[in-house]
Amino acid sequence: MVEEKSLSVSPAQVASTEADDRSRWLTPLILQVILILLGLFVAFPIILAVLTSFKVPEDIINYPPTLFPDVWTFENYVTAWTSQPLARYFLNSVIQTSIIVLFQIITSILAAYAFAILKFPGRDVMFFLILGSLMVPFQLTFIPNFILISDLGWANTYMGLTVPFLASAFGVFMLRQFFLSLPAELYDAAKIDGASSWTYLWRVVVPLSKGSISAFGIFAFLSAWNQYLWPLIITNEPEMRTLQIGIRFFLFDQERGADWGGIMAATVIALLPTLLIFLVAQRQLVKGIATTGLKG
Amino acid sequence: MTDTTQRKSTPITSATIKSDRRRKLWQAVEGYLYLAPTLIVLAIFVFIPIITSFQISLTRVAPFGGATRFVGFENYTRLFNSQEYFDTIRITLLFTLYTVPTGIILAVALAILLSYPMKRLSWLHRLLIFLPIVISTAVTGVLFRWIYHPVVGYLNYVLSLIGVDGPNWLNDADWALISVSMAVVWRQLGFNTIIALAGIQNINEVYYEAAKVDGATVYHRIRYVMLPLLSPTLFFLLIINVINSLQVFGEINILTRGSQATRTMLYSIYDNAFVGTPFRGLASAEAYLLFLLILVLSIIQFRFVGRRVHY
Repeated sequence: MVEEKSLSVSPAQVASTEADDRSRWLTPLILQVILILLGLFVAFPIILAVLTSFKVPEDIINYPPTLFPDVWTFENYVTAWTSQPLARYFLNSVIQTSIIVLFQIITSILAAYAFAILKFPGRDVMFFLILGSLMVPFQLTFIPNFILISDLGWANTYMGLTVPFLASAFGVFMLRQFFLSLPAELYDAAKIDGASSWTYLWRVVVPLSKGSISAFGIFAFLSAWNQYLWPLIITNEPEMRTLQIGIRFFLFDQERGADWGGIMAATVIALLPTLLIFLVAQRQLVKGIATTGLKG
Repeated sequence: MTDTTQRKSTPITSATIKSDRRRKLWQAVEGYLYLAPTLIVLAIFVFIPIITSFQISLTRVAPFGGATRFVGFENYTRLFNSQEYFDTIRITLLFTLYTVPTGIILAVALAILLSYPMKRLSWLHRLLIFLPIVISTAVTGVLFRWIYHPVVGYLNYVLSLIGVDGPNWLNDADWALISVSMAVVWRQLGFNTIIALAGIQNINEVYYEAAKVDGATVYHRIRYVMLPLLSPTLFFLLIINVINSLQVFGEINILTRGSQATRTMLYSIYDNAFVGTPFRGLASAEAYLLFLLILVLSIIQFRFVGRRVHY
């Protein structure tokens, strides 16, 4: 939807900071301060959670509340990890997310390849059908899907957690856009050399598209790891909960005991993998959102 | 193209026609084999459920786990005759009204600031402001439950510093929906700002230069040059944010557990279908009506707002 541009250094845009400008009050220094303050304000809930997770209980309920821990402790992480089957939740999330990401990457590569490179009757109709599925809101599908998965006996299983998400229309769309940018001569040349479509896909297209495949992988990871409604309804046995559902129950269990340190520790554990991804792949993520207008 | 050259070089025999046909057939089969995994998953979990969902909405399960029977549009008429249902519509629309304009205005303001040329630290500004894009609905819920806490929460503490006695955010019916809205605006902020910033950076600098030569102030440049040129982006943000606002669930589930004041249409669907005695027929009818609302709102936006967009 919006074209991509380098988001790193932008040229003078709305206003410039030249001396003769009317916006003289907005010096680089003041702007620097404003942006840092705004940034800290936006990131505040996360910073707060991280700092709270290292506080001792008395420190947390102190009034007036402090930002930094008086005494740094790792105890909350130990409690969170041992008082709750948090390790099990973590494992469940890892398994669920890995299966979804792996399958979405493979199924999306296959379909995107067919749409971008191959020619066959009904191709464009099929493409619009798949694109159309992006417009079907999940509240229209989750009740029948719940009934189907339950009837199959897949409630409280990894099958139930993952099977409805093994394909991604978003992935097909994103990878197709990239595959289309590969020169067509490449395909013709490979055909003349006697390569089959299958060989061409895995020997040429996939190696050339590592960047966009991994970009899609990041989106698939984030949306799978962060899933909430589906894992909530399809699991009712504690040992099959994912981390996101786990922290919800941890919160509701512990709130009366006001173990906010433990709750924040569990929350930090739940958001740590996504935070790491963000720090490592921020550029790819931002570019992906800016070019597709979608979040995955 | 290759077919014609082949035909020129070799005399047409029934055998070549046959092999040509077979090749074409294989091409078609091959294409669908590649699509099969995606098509099967989407068919089972997206396309067929559109129909089954409607079928379910026409049924009702007799009490005490009795048989499912066809009741026609009874679920729909029941909804239209209940004040509770209209309350969920009202709350949903209010929620959209609280979150969408706020979210877009904040995102555009942040994007304008981020678009200034900064020699230093611009990576840090972006890092901090884009951070919410990776945060889940569950984490958002937990974080804001802590911030809104009536006794140890930071929000009321900060308010007390300026002499304001903060309300009991999540349990006060007057504030609960606003509290949830603020949390959701926060979670969407990173995404919205990225889209807005990309839109701003797409605007050709020539326009600003021209305006500047004409002596336009920053305000005028933003108001009469940037915003009109940004209108396709703003329109896109509007559409996406309205749809998202109708589908918020995680924050409500964690912050207020779907209390009366925050019971949106989607929350009511979840509650009817999965909490306590399941009323799946009723919930499916609600799901269809919500889908209809999304459709109607999108059409209205395309018709009345889309028209004013400059492309």
